[in-house]
Amino acid sequence: MEDRQESTAPQKEVCSRFKCRLCGVAPFFVGIVVALVFGWWLFPTLMFNSQEQPVQFTHDTHVNVAGLDCNYCHKIRPDGTFSAIPTTKECAVCHQVLLGESRAERVFWDEYVRPGKEVAWLIYQKQPDNVFFSHAPHSLENCNNCHEFSKTELCLFCHVNVKDKAPTYHENRLSGYSKDTMKMWQCERCHANPNHLAGTAANNACFVCHK
Amino acid sequence: MLDRRGFLKFVGGAAVGTLATPVVWKGLDDLSIWTQNWPWIPRLDKGNNLNTYISTTSKLCPSACGMRVRLVNGRPVRVLGDESNPLSRGGVSALASAEVQLRYSPARLKRPLRRTADGTFVAIPWYEAEALLRAELVKAARDGGLMCLSGDENGTMNELLSALTVAMGSSDFYLMPGEAQTTAAAWKSLGGRGRVGYDFARSDFVLAVGAGVLENWGPVVGNRRAWGRARPQDGEPAMRLAYAGPVQNNTAAGADWWLPIRPGSEMAFLMGIAQLLFAQGCPSAGVESFAELAAVWTPEKVARATGLAPERLQQVVEQLAAARAPLIIVGTDLGQGGEAAPVILGMALNTLLGRVNQDGGLRILPEPEPVFPRAMSYGDMMAQDFTAAVRAVADKKRAAPSLLMIYEANPVYAMPRGAGVEELLGSAGFSVSFSCFLDETARRCDLILPSAMGLERFDDVNTPFGLGEIFYALCQPVAEPLYESRAAGDVLLDLARLIGLDMGYATFREALEARAASLGLDWAGLMKGECAISRATLPLESLIFPSGLIAEALEGRFIQPEKGALAVATFTKLAFGTADSAIPPFATKLITDAELTAGELSASMNSATIRELGLREGMKIRLVAGEMSLPARVRAFEGVAMGTVALAAGFGHTNFDAFNNGKGANVMDLFTTVEEPGTGLAVWRCPDVKIVKA
Repeated sequence: MEDRQESTAPQKEVCSRFKCRLCGVAPFFVGIVVALVFGWWLFPTLMFNSQEQPVQFTHDTHVNVAGLDCNYCHKIRPDGTFSAIPTTKECAVCHQVLLGESRAERVFWDEYVRPGKEVAWLIYQKQPDNVFFSHAPHSLENCNNCHEFSKTELCLFCHVNVKDKAPTYHENRLSGYSKDTMKMWQCERCHANPNHLAGTAANNACFVCHK
Repeated sequence: MLDRRGFLKFVGGAAVGTLATPVVWKGLDDLSIWTQNWPWIPRLDKGNNLNTYISTTSKLCPSACGMRVRLVNGRPVRVLGDESNPLSRGGVSALASAEVQLRYSPARLKRPLRRTADGTFVAIPWYEAEALLRAELVKAARDGGLMCLSGDENGTMNELLSALTVAMGSSDFYLMPGEAQTTAAAWKSLGGRGRVGYDFARSDFVLAVGAGVLENWGPVVGNRRAWGRARPQDGEPAMRLAYAGPVQNNTAAGADWWLPIRPGSEMAFLMGIAQLLFAQGCPSAGVESFAELAAVWTPEKVARATGLAPERLQQVVEQLAAARAPLIIVGTDLGQGGEAAPVILGMALNTLLGRVNQDGGLRILPEPEPVFPRAMSYGDMMAQDFTAAVRAVADKKRAAPSLLMIYEANPVYAMPRGAGVEELLGSAGFSVSFSCFLDETARRCDLILPSAMGLERFDDVNTPFGLGEIFYALCQPVAEPLYESRAAGDVLLDLARLIGLDMGYATFREALEARAASLGLDWAGLMKGECAISRATLPLESLIFPSGLIAEALEGRFIQPEKGALAVATFTKLAFGTADSAIPPFATKLITDAELTAGELSASMNSATIRELGLREGMKIRLVAGEMSLPARVRAFEGVAMGTVALAAGFGHTNFDAFNNGKGANVMDLFTTVEEPGTGLAVWRCPDVKIVKA
């Protein structure tokens, strides 16, 4: 017994020394884990605030119920400029009277149509002023010279899906831009694609987008 | 329990872990993007903005470009060429295309300014400025001491200003010296009546002597469009161009033939052409004196005076003889202050070739009838010589004006330093400048009134200089005047009414409506951008060749510069502004080494001249002419005639804006005014210069 005891004592010592070493580096690993959790889970949440659109607009109602075509509101004018989001006056062509009994309709009519006020829509794809973007060359007609995009697929290439309820708008607390604002690398998926150089005018030169 | 060592380990782990998260990289990225949104950075008004277009005409560009101004939500943002304009046909000059942005120039005057006793300016309200000017007008009306200078080249505004001057008992209304006066004086010397235009677009061979027809002479945008149409890429050219001048400027670069001649030798060149034409059998009946004068100007003699090889002169004459519709245009590179004698010779040669009142030739146009009662006629305005008047005041040969009124002109900058403009401003009882910009002249006046720009007021263009047709177009306001600027025409009509003068119209727009009616034009059409063109001409009456005048003008010329001295040739580009404007911010990128080297004026010489003078490229030098000197840097350019230094005009502003001030030097500092032998006109001349290493 004594012999056995004598023989296990050094083993225990090794084991406890190993445990101590583990205990010694544990705070380091805990620090890594905490940082990872903060950085990947908490930080993205803290960086953005969440805002809802001033009016709960649904494309679904306008397209599927009212039967409007996208071009009815978002059109490229003959001079190449894009009409973007319609003005309240343009919306009032249909909404001159209350259409339905939804809360969103009531808010829109009371707060915007009747006083003739523009809605401060939150723009998911808002780009900095130093980016010159025109919808005209990014058209279905141009892209489908080679691709076979549907209208929805092409729009969703850059825009968030707004088919049903308008999604929550996330604004970066530091930069002030939308979480969905495209970064340059996203533009470069097409602009830096060598296959585009032959068939389109979309090269990746600075002055193409930055005037 | 976490001890100190454990805590540090935790922090270390957290730091390492953070590097594997987006915190640092995303944070830095967002931080850099945040700098785009600082509150003092102006923002674009993006969104569903309505685009509209208004057609108008440029008052800033002397070629009267037809412009389609694009407005976004009522705010002008861009100038496009108007395809429907019969003159500029969709073309637009760099100057006109910058007109929208020039509204916001840092040099733009915001409110009336009055000079105080200590020489500084204080802002005053319009009613105070008007009261001040009204009092000065009343005083000037009493002693007939009003002198008025206009920078407008072709508008009805000149009629208002001349009518006001005459109504105030004075005849001192002047236009800024330009090619129009020189040409008018030349035509008058030949005994012609009406005004002269050149039918550039219909000619098949143009010989431009000194006139930068593709860069800065006459209706240059229209010229360029006509040139482009006549020279299809895949077809035979329908027009050929030869340019004679000392510098291979943009016109020479575009021409089929560049004929390098020494500065000031244009008359010898033209006499050489006349000699060859007569020798080849051109009828001399009626112009015997011309033939007699020209007889001695053999190609060899011309070569000695001009430096041009005799066979090249011969080639030009062959081209003239072979052309169906040849045209000779004589002008100056500066577009102002030129001599009339070479222009007389050019007109005489056109007459000799039978090109008067022909398509593609020299055309005699009727003068416009004034719409303002008491206004000076076109001919009378052209006969007024501002350079001579300034000289007379500076030399105390005539009384200084009690009131000097300057309308959109900058003579302090644009006229020769030795012309006496400073003395005129110093001796005038009171001086007032109607100006869009706080320029060199405005800063020397007692009262500065901010003028609405061409895009902010009603104005007109009545046949730009050089055009071979009668042309009329309207300028209309596309936006409200910025700041407190006002249309000078309306201000003057108000003041005239207040001092009891009946000018015939309550507003300047009314006067323009009367002008349109007098021309039989529809006002609504003009407002839509329609222009009127008429090819009516006056019949050619017998012209008299002024042989005595020409003989006198030829005397004592063509003396070679003394050893070590260089003749000066100037050149300019329309993009660098005009006599009453400056380089627009957008055009600074058009400045090349040919004009400025390391911020200093480029003194371009051919390499043989540089070697001869012991200079090297890039060397800092001074160009010295008498007491005047100009800093510059040597630039080697083979497109400059031997013994000549080429300098760009349009630089060296001292009081304009950050885009102009301190850039290069003003070539006008080297110029002086002299009386032209023969015609007696006060013309500008640059003496030969010596080069001194700085």
